[in-house]
Amino acid sequence: MFGTPANEMIKNRNQNQKIKVSLGIAFTALSLISLGWIMQAYSIFDWESAFELGLQQGTFEGSELESLIARKEKGEAMADLILPLPLTILAFVGLVGRKFYGWLAAMMVFSICIYFPLFYLFQQLGSDIQVALFAIVMWAIPSMIGIVALWSIRNHYFQYG
Amino acid sequence: MGEPNLFAWILLVFGMITLLPLIAAQTVLLRDPESRRAKDLIIGKGREWTNSTHRKSAIAFAWSDILLVLPLFIIGSTAVLSGASWGYLLWIALGFICVYFSITFWVMERANSVKYHGWFAYLTYYWGFFLYWGVGVIIYSFLQLSNMIF
Repeated sequence: MFGTPANEMIKNRNQNQKIKVSLGIAFTALSLISLGWIMQAYSIFDWESAFELGLQQGTFEGSELESLIARKEKGEAMADLILPLPLTILAFVGLVGRKFYGWLAAMMVFSICIYFPLFYLFQQLGSDIQVALFAIVMWAIPSMIGIVALWSIRNHYFQYG
Repeated sequence: MGEPNLFAWILLVFGMITLLPLIAAQTVLLRDPESRRAKDLIIGKGREWTNSTHRKSAIAFAWSDILLVLPLFIIGSTAVLSGASWGYLLWIALGFICVYFSITFWVMERANSVKYHGWFAYLTYYWGFFLYWGVGVIIYSFLQLSNMIF
């Protein structure tokens, strides 16, 4: 009976600590992911320069094959800027404000960021898998960790959503 | 929270009509990418892979869909029908993935697909259904999660 308020305090402190750590993980993952969107935005702005910098693998000024690769990559870049980029911004803003929509947006960004590295992995298997490994390390693994971190504090967001 | 209603069933049936034939075609592709049947189903009757990148991309999409999209659809739908709130989260995740690859394909494949299959096929079963279904589940699931539906 006497221990109850103290236990509550410890419980609350642990809960706050857990939320802070989980949010820290989510923000780190979102920051890594944002580097990808910056890369894609730069590519759309100046494709050939991005190709020369090694940010993209296909060029519109090369052979038919290179042009095909460039068209595929441009599709992905456009998709990244139209959907995951606004979602990432929404996730940052929402998580900072401890809003449910931020939690949800972050989860959705993470799910997309597992899908496309998986695609790269299978596309590059048997040839040059450096791009795929880079995408997995930079985006897929942080996304998976981010999902686990945010899921562990879901009650906080559902409660206040 | 979030008991499934008629809209959930409509989305489920629409999702099955949209996603399962694709997964079936992709399974045929993964068994033998060079078979006539696989090429007819994935790129169109009588057509050939443009080059190895074209074939590899189709195979990569097939693996990603089978490993991620199919489990999300099956587990998410089962959870939604049983009224579990996390089922809607899986549906929203899948919805965003569908919208994401719809945008990718719009830029990447639209010209060729429309040329070989026509606008009607393209805006329906060839491409459009994936976008419509994705948007539909995102809106419905978000409303359900927000406890706002009717």
